[in-house]
Amino acid sequence: MKIRNRSLRRSSSTDTEATVEDETTPAVRLENVSHEYGSTTGRFRSRSEQAVTALREVSFDVERGEVLGLEGPSGSGKSTILHAVAGLLVPTAGTVSVLGTDLTSLSDRGRTKARRRHVGIVFQRFHLLESLSARANVALPLVQAGLSKSARRERATTLLTEVGLKDRITHLPGELSGGERQRVAIARALSTDPDILVADEPTGELDTETGANVLELLTNVGRDRAVVVASHDAATLGVADRVVTLRDGSVIEDER
Amino acid sequence: MSDENRESVAGLNDENRESVIDTRGKKRRHRWRGVIGVSIARLWHRPTRTNSSRIRMVIAVVALTSALLLCISSIALAVADGGAMQADDADVQIAPEGSGSLSAVDGVEGPRLGETNERAADIRSEDGVEHASPVLVEPTKFESPEGDPQTILLVGVVPDDTSRTVAGLSTAGLEPGDPHYDGGSYAGSTERQLVLSPTAADRLEASEGDERTVSSGRGDMDVPSLSVSAVDDSGAAGESDAPVALVHLSELQTFAGSSDGQLADRILVWGEPAAAESAADEAYPGAAVESTGGGDPSALFDDGLAFATSAIALLIGVTICASFVATTMGMAVDQDRRTIAVLQTVGISLSGRLLVVATTTIVATLCGGVIGIGLGMLGILAINAVAGATVASGTVAMAHPIFVPYALAVALVAGLIAVPYPLVIAAKTSVLTEVGR
Repeated sequence: MKIRNRSLRRSSSTDTEATVEDETTPAVRLENVSHEYGSTTGRFRSRSEQAVTALREVSFDVERGEVLGLEGPSGSGKSTILHAVAGLLVPTAGTVSVLGTDLTSLSDRGRTKARRRHVGIVFQRFHLLESLSARANVALPLVQAGLSKSARRERATTLLTEVGLKDRITHLPGELSGGERQRVAIARALSTDPDILVADEPTGELDTETGANVLELLTNVGRDRAVVVASHDAATLGVADRVVTLRDGSVIEDER
Repeated sequence: MSDENRESVAGLNDENRESVIDTRGKKRRHRWRGVIGVSIARLWHRPTRTNSSRIRMVIAVVALTSALLLCISSIALAVADGGAMQADDADVQIAPEGSGSLSAVDGVEGPRLGETNERAADIRSEDGVEHASPVLVEPTKFESPEGDPQTILLVGVVPDDTSRTVAGLSTAGLEPGDPHYDGGSYAGSTERQLVLSPTAADRLEASEGDERTVSSGRGDMDVPSLSVSAVDDSGAAGESDAPVALVHLSELQTFAGSSDGQLADRILVWGEPAAAESAADEAYPGAAVESTGGGDPSALFDDGLAFATSAIALLIGVTICASFVATTMGMAVDQDRRTIAVLQTVGISLSGRLLVVATTTIVATLCGGVIGIGLGMLGILAINAVAGATVASGTVAMAHPIFVPYALAVALVAGLIAVPYPLVIAAKTSVLTEVGR
């Protein structure tokens, strides 16, 4: 499978974020990351807004080419870690670095830019735009990259062909099966050729056979990327090179 | 250029610097075009291929508002301009100051000019003036072959050797001159000719050579019987469905009881515009002398009632339209917060996300405006058809090409007023709430 597209790679010298990337820099680094939801400070916090601790001083690295599984029950902090790695939230303490860039030090705009350049996200519920075709969904991240329409279409068509959906290019998500939707979501996550792929319960909505196919696809595309997969499904975690187990926001096991 | 771009092109030679700037400019253009393209694609698919009724509602409400606005504006324009009764090819028109053409709607006569036969003759004698004719409009009941009374708008004119257009009909069907006037005595011979519009011919079931009798008269003339000298289906009256007929002026004045003061509604002057205006000013210093343009929208500004009607309609239309668009698009964005969140997760910037919402709102309102133009034109046709068949015998709503940009501008303004609310909702969308913790 040849999903990587070197033409989409960017030189770190053009990045606005303070990138200190070199070969030894891990793709993802979490250092003493803690997070509380509803952690608004001050006297205006109501009783119903009591803080919920989601992460407690979590630290680990993810190397390039490594598939990391996050295991744990609901509420253990798996999704929070994924969102922090994707720059969708800023933890209340600690640092999250992506290719040497500290996401916690960036503005919302900077995190959006870093996410666009380095991170692809696959959700359990696909989160495709129902009113756009499969190709348009895959091409969506390329819009902000400033590619021409023809280049976006070509890249999206290539990716959909690679994930086995060549004959579903113009279909709306509503016209696709669950497995096909997840393949479109994976193709979309890969469209900007990210260094890091985060997947939150990627097989959670799929039957066993379809889930296995999606996992095979994920591991194939993750050959030279860092892939972080959150799941409590043993089959999903079985494809990981390493599994980090979480309980109540803390890492209790880090097993290769 | 942003600071970021400035820094990155520093140190490059001129050629490379221009190349970098050009590449960034291209990327920016592709980015904005792409975001707008995504917005339009979503807008196209949502109402047509998904169950997004709110977008359809926005389009429908803007369309209905625009259509209503056009209908009201067309009525105001007809009131200000005189409707089909002023579909003339004259260069200058003299009308009483402050006259409006409500007569076509409710039969109320406005002020009229006096001594028109004499003064029109004076105007005709001026250098640069080709011809001048008083025009008297009088709704008149004729007997149809079945004996049913049919109302026709009789338009009295003084034809000359040249074919001219008055009230959308050609004067070529009338004998030149006005022999019945005979120097002010109204004792000359009568031609008793009638040039009918197609609608008038249809109502009277008459064709060339037929005679039709007037049901009643107010003047000294015996109840006349007029002979159809022509049915003119080539002029503006043929397009407006107005039941209009041309007759000789003095015969209509006599029949309508307007001969004492030589009354007429207006005087049309053909010739060099400057000379015609000068002669008109001299003949009627206190009257309104204006170049005729046939449905000129600027006439709205000269007629207080018409201007007030259209201005209030515009104000109410834009207010209602903008309020509805803001509320409904706000609800649509609120319902569709997940899409905004997904755009954020794939790296679309805040400005890009807001552009998607703004483009969706503006394009939806413009779509409504385009549909509204079509509905408005149908509405104008319907108003004229209904009014013609019931209360009025002339055109009461007048369409104009400027209605197209007018409706689009109204839709655009409503969209621009409405757009901040959905933008605020979009900007406040929490990505974590929408794509799940």
